[in-house]
Amino acid sequence: MRGTDSLEQTLIPGVTKLVLGWAARGRLWDYLIAFAIILGLNFFLPRCMPGDPFLAIYGEEAVLHLSPQVQAELMAQYGLNEPWLTQLWYYLRNLCHGQLGYSYYYTTPVSHVLLGALPWTLLLAGGSLLLSFLIGTVLGIESAWRRGQTLDRGLLTGVMLTGSLPDYFLGAVLLLLVAGGLGLFPLSGAVTAYTNWHGPRLWADVLHHLVLPLVAVTVAHVGGFYLMSRNAMLRNLHRPFILTARSKGLTETAVRYRHAGRNALLPVVTEAGVAAARLMTGVLFVETVFAYPGVGSVIYQALQARDYPLLQGAFLVVTVTVLILNYALEVLYGRLDARVRDHAH
Amino acid sequence: MHINYWQELTHHREGQIGLVLLGILAGIALLAPILAPWDPLYERDMAFLAPSLRHLLGTNDVGQDIFSRLLYGARSSLCLAVLAGAGATALSLLIGGTAGLIGGLYDRVVLRCIDALLCIPMLLVLILVAGYLTPSFFSLVLILTCLMWPGGARVVRAETLSLRSELHITAARSFGARWPYLLRRHILPDLAPILLANFVAVARRAVFMEAGLAFLGIGDPMVVSWGMMIRQALRFTYLDAWVWWLLPPGLALACTVAAFAYLGNILTGVLHPRHEGGHTHA
Repeated sequence: MRGTDSLEQTLIPGVTKLVLGWAARGRLWDYLIAFAIILGLNFFLPRCMPGDPFLAIYGEEAVLHLSPQVQAELMAQYGLNEPWLTQLWYYLRNLCHGQLGYSYYYTTPVSHVLLGALPWTLLLAGGSLLLSFLIGTVLGIESAWRRGQTLDRGLLTGVMLTGSLPDYFLGAVLLLLVAGGLGLFPLSGAVTAYTNWHGPRLWADVLHHLVLPLVAVTVAHVGGFYLMSRNAMLRNLHRPFILTARSKGLTETAVRYRHAGRNALLPVVTEAGVAAARLMTGVLFVETVFAYPGVGSVIYQALQARDYPLLQGAFLVVTVTVLILNYALEVLYGRLDARVRDHAH
Repeated sequence: MHINYWQELTHHREGQIGLVLLGILAGIALLAPILAPWDPLYERDMAFLAPSLRHLLGTNDVGQDIFSRLLYGARSSLCLAVLAGAGATALSLLIGGTAGLIGGLYDRVVLRCIDALLCIPMLLVLILVAGYLTPSFFSLVLILTCLMWPGGARVVRAETLSLRSELHITAARSFGARWPYLLRRHILPDLAPILLANFVAVARRAVFMEAGLAFLGIGDPMVVSWGMMIRQALRFTYLDAWVWWLLPPGLALACTVAAFAYLGNILTGVLHPRHEGGHTHA
């Protein structure tokens, strides 16, 4: 007994200290509260709708399409005849088991539909996030270096224009001009249907389908990264260490990228969370234009078919992805910035 | 804080572009019933007509005049932008201002909530809520107001907090000024530029979000919206009609968003002079 006592005595304060330390450093609490708000919205929104609970949660279409047997099963699984506190308990328990409800439209569990769709969205979002970050920061650094010159002014105006175009509109125009008009790229989907290609052939096909949505999202969202890195770079160019680097006789490129540029990256990483969240929603919209089989297309289908559990599940998956991404970026920033890192210990 | 905002706006190229664009759009929105040759909801003529003198941008799939719909689209977009911008800014002022003035536990709770809410991608929440409620125009304004206050509230709170401890406020208080007077004469006027910048930012995002929502097919079908026009045109891309059906609403949307973005850039540039070389008309 004494052994477990001392273990608890050392373990619990240790874990608490670790969690509290984390929470204090990385705004973990904000993200947990945000997650609770999202869950609350998902739980209460359908239950605030008028009418019988099953009808409100699943919608009229689902009631018409599902057999009474399936309906009774779902009622029992989610405890829909119980008081709402019990329902909340059922809801959370089902959620922990990865059960997000049943999609009448796809006639499978919601989690099944989302697991099939999420990889495509992550591929498109990850690719465009990487591309827009790289292109945006390089352009921002070059632009700030030539402040007020033709390139800088041109880029600023260009970014204002592309940033004002809705991403789905950009996607639609690309689709019509490049895929429809020139026939260079496929019109829709993520792979060519009815083939059994393997290996490199399949990858080439996936890439071929990815190009246009990727370009649309990247062009629409590169502006945010560009403006952030340009601003950060402008603030850096007047610092004394740039003068030192120059007076040491370093080449222009070394000063621009290794000294000023590297320092400008730091604030960009902190602000990247907002841009990443915006990019993620942009991806969802562009997917619907290209009928790309990701979560965005699932949301679109769910809205058309009034398949509410599917809509909720997709909403939950995307928002949680965004929250995790944002939190990861903040932790990364803590690691990158020596001032923050050293203060923590 | 005593900056001539009108001069700042009119003496910058960006501000001029923004004001002119917004002026034209506001003119179109106000005069839409006079300028539009047809009723935007009236389905009389043949469907899929090519542009002609009778229908400048042709007709859509149910025979409505696309040009008239484009003009009326400006009306609903700007109306929504102004209402949501004003609503969200008022809510920001109320919540952020009281948090800054009252302080203590209330302030800490409010700040926590704001920081948590700012982590959530609001466009997704909007899609979910609108998917359930299928809002009319005014309930959409209400939802947008409820979703877009946190960013502004954070700024207003920080500014109120620093204003509260400023010397001229302390001086006025020592002369016996009460809080209502202080709020009216000293705090609100100094918050005005922040509120204005926030209004413009919210307006821009509201236009964007409404269009996105209409593009997904959620929205009042009796209100003409550019997002809805893009959605309708995209269904008939196999026809050549997209040139005069899809492009105009998309470009109009871009112009509106760009106008707000230009104005917003100038206003935030004036507020944070260190960001961009400083203002010229201090």
